[in-house]
Amino acid sequence: MSLDIKIPQVGESITEVTIASWLKKEGDFVQLDEVLCELESDKATFELNAEAAGVLRIKAQEGETIEIGAVVCSIEEGKGSAVAAPVVEKIDKSSQSQATSATISTGQKLEMRVPEVGESITEVTLSSWIKKEGDFVTLDEVIAEIDSDKATFELPAEGVGILHPAANEGDTLKIGDLICTIEISEGVPAKAQTPQASSVVASSNQSYATGHASPAASKILSEKGINTSAISGTGVDGRITKEDADKAQKEASKPQPLSTSKSEAPIVLPAGERNETRKKMSSLRKTVSRRLVAVKNDTAMLTTFNEVNMKPIMDLRNKYKEQFKEKHEIGLGFMSFFTKACTVALLEWPAVNGQIDGDEMVYHDFCDISIAVSAPKGLVVPVIRNAEKLSFAGIESEVRRLALKARDNKLTIPEMTGGTFTITNGGVFGSMMSTPIINSPQSAILGMHNIVERAVVENGEIVIRPMMYLALSYDHRIIDGRESVSFLVRVKELLEDPTRLLLEV
Amino acid sequence: MTYDITVIGSGPGGYVAAIRCAQLGFKTALVEKYSTLGGTCLNVGCIPSKALLDSTEHFHNAETTFKEHGVNITGLKADLAQMIKRKGEVVSQTTQGIDFLMKKNKIDVLHGLGSFVDKNTIKISGEKEQTITTDKVIIATGSKPSSLPFIQLDKKRVITSTEALELKEIPKHLIVIGGGVIGLELGSVYARLGSKVSVVEYMDSLIPTMDATLGRELKKSLSKLGFEYYLKHKVVEVKGAAKKVTIKAESPKGETVELEGDYCLVSVGRKPYTDGLGLDKVGITTDKAGRIEVNSQLQTNVPNIYAIGDVIKGAMLAHKAEEEGVFVAETIAGQKPHIHYNLIPGVVYTWPEVASVGYTEQQLKEQGKAYKTGSFPYRALGRARASMDIDGQVKVLADKTTDEILGVHIIGARAADMIASAVTAMEFRASAEDVSRMSHAHPTYMEAVKEACLAATEDRAIHM
Repeated sequence: MSLDIKIPQVGESITEVTIASWLKKEGDFVQLDEVLCELESDKATFELNAEAAGVLRIKAQEGETIEIGAVVCSIEEGKGSAVAAPVVEKIDKSSQSQATSATISTGQKLEMRVPEVGESITEVTLSSWIKKEGDFVTLDEVIAEIDSDKATFELPAEGVGILHPAANEGDTLKIGDLICTIEISEGVPAKAQTPQASSVVASSNQSYATGHASPAASKILSEKGINTSAISGTGVDGRITKEDADKAQKEASKPQPLSTSKSEAPIVLPAGERNETRKKMSSLRKTVSRRLVAVKNDTAMLTTFNEVNMKPIMDLRNKYKEQFKEKHEIGLGFMSFFTKACTVALLEWPAVNGQIDGDEMVYHDFCDISIAVSAPKGLVVPVIRNAEKLSFAGIESEVRRLALKARDNKLTIPEMTGGTFTITNGGVFGSMMSTPIINSPQSAILGMHNIVERAVVENGEIVIRPMMYLALSYDHRIIDGRESVSFLVRVKELLEDPTRLLLEV
Repeated sequence: MTYDITVIGSGPGGYVAAIRCAQLGFKTALVEKYSTLGGTCLNVGCIPSKALLDSTEHFHNAETTFKEHGVNITGLKADLAQMIKRKGEVVSQTTQGIDFLMKKNKIDVLHGLGSFVDKNTIKISGEKEQTITTDKVIIATGSKPSSLPFIQLDKKRVITSTEALELKEIPKHLIVIGGGVIGLELGSVYARLGSKVSVVEYMDSLIPTMDATLGRELKKSLSKLGFEYYLKHKVVEVKGAAKKVTIKAESPKGETVELEGDYCLVSVGRKPYTDGLGLDKVGITTDKAGRIEVNSQLQTNVPNIYAIGDVIKGAMLAHKAEEEGVFVAETIAGQKPHIHYNLIPGVVYTWPEVASVGYTEQQLKEQGKAYKTGSFPYRALGRARASMDIDGQVKVLADKTTDEILGVHIIGARAADMIASAVTAMEFRASAEDVSRMSHAHPTYMEAVKEACLAATEDRAIHM
């Protein structure tokens, strides 16, 4: 079968064109849509595309001037090659432009359907009605909120009139399903139903560019270590602006208002109150959960244990508590002993203080100790910088300063980033034994626990001692068993004989 | 002396890196082998070639379009010596500008050949020899014109771009080997002054790395200047004599074509330049093409040493090197900058100009991406007709489903400046319709971009 290719209409008032050059030769095999030749009119140059795949037969030569509609070549279609329906595009367009407009007359009902909200989203959940049955709504007024698995968006009214919902809160609807009708009011024009492409833009701000960070914003987010998916952009179609990126973490450290779901369907049960409360995850909670799971997945984490006799430290503390407080104006707690012991051991076992960065291992000659603190909205981990250089009093006052700031939600981002090792104390809540999760990108974390009087054997005799279990979770990719165990043993030795801290032995 | 960062090479990559380092509070040194700063770009590349391109374009217009504009001139004559003198002044003003910027930013400029003693020690051999220690090093030594193994560059008759910027006479017949950016720009300079220019290119099109439409259109435009082309021709011999040069090339059919001219410009590309740098002293590795190997942070296999610009992989463009200079300085400072390499524009300063960003149509086809095209010709623009610059078109490629702009390819007057708006739009992932809904001043060449976007959106250009 041979398909004649004619000179298409290239513009008003153009009646003839000149063949500038053939890009394909007589007898060439051409693909669908491939450019065959270039045509010149007195206004412009055009390309003539193959309307089918096949062998080219040229009927007009370069330099020839021919009329619109004249045959320039034919294509002998190859076996199995698809025939392109010519000018399909134009037909589509004209049918598209027949926009059905909702009329003005009273009693006219405008059906609103679930709009397309993005690629690959086929269904949405009607999370809440903002307007009720019988409410009068105006054009573009938000009448409902809709959730997809990717985002929440608002549904604006497509006309003016009385709202009649056709779906209930919590219903899952397919794209195109009827969601409500609007009884058009007299004399007020309804918004004409726009072609589909623009109605997507109008009714939701989801697009391929949603969540795309501007050049400046993407740099800021990288530096803060925030994934673009974790924040919602305020720019056009949900693009992330520089301001969004600047604010990203500040917002995370502010307590989020807890909103309860409006869609609490009553559960019918024989007796007793059985209420379920749902709260939105705060950004902090989301970040924490994402990071914890990431650490579990991305590291080779395991935990080694030991126990420490706390009597020597407790004795020392009892002896000097008053003097220490008087001199340094701060209480002598356990944290300073543990921090100090860890810094000594970390410098001796640098892998425990190191981290993995891509294909490289990074070691530090300083100890920035992260302290896990329970703050009102969750766990925060401020950092004691250069803890190895601080005195006991210095550590205690840093711990106090950071803990107070944590309590008041006043910790800054720099105060919480960049630690090399973490200490967490589950003992304050009564934990006897736990396996803490590494504070990524660090490689190890020490877990302290409660102090319990236990019967232990010393010099062949059973004695009662205040004992604490210690747990060290570590990333086996960078820390070998010998290093982790030796580190923990060293910490134990230093704690059981704190004089060693003084003598550095 | 001890520095936080030492930059070797003062081209647009190196000096920009040095300034950004200084801005970030690093104590910075800039090492330069030559007496003037600015590297290839300022001394023997972008700036001087543009000076000559502008001078010769004025001459060409005076010769060809002034009469039509109603400007009559008698005794029109091209003064090549004056053009080259003016070019020299532009270069010296520009390089002095860099001297000023270095002083302003308190960057120590050390003249001499910089070479590694070890990874933290650089020896600078200039009029006197000195050694400095440095925490970090940024290699920005750039590139040199490359050649073909059998070509003897005598630099008198068989020349590179460097010599082509300093000719004492207008060639009668300039043979250009290589139909890339450099050959076509310098070929244009002399074609406008009356030289016959023959371009011998191994590939089947001009500027073969850019979108095929651009190469085709440019070929047509330059034909009007009298360019002759020998595409798909393989040069096999170049012989320079005292007053002439002959070259032999194999045609696609295997026949030998012989061309005789008075100059032969070898513009077959550029090669990374690391001679005398002492890379072996620190164990830095290069690839087969001689490029220093770097990771995504532009860090070499020696962690405190970075490399940027022509000496590493990627397009050999001044603005690419500049972005990398800033990137490395900020990375060293602990920041996390990004470079979108696909959104670095490419420009050819012929007339009409050629400029391009994003994917070419060929690349999209190879990726199997569903895309749509919108084109708009310059000759339908009021602005273009008013100034008689009607050669050219804008082509916009957009994603078939999302309408996101994937590539913008412009040939025409002022394309080089217009491409920036395409980069802006694409950095924000604008759709073709987005751009077509932004107001473009009338009458301007930029209207062609808007119209092409309209054409790409729903084939609804207004002025076609």
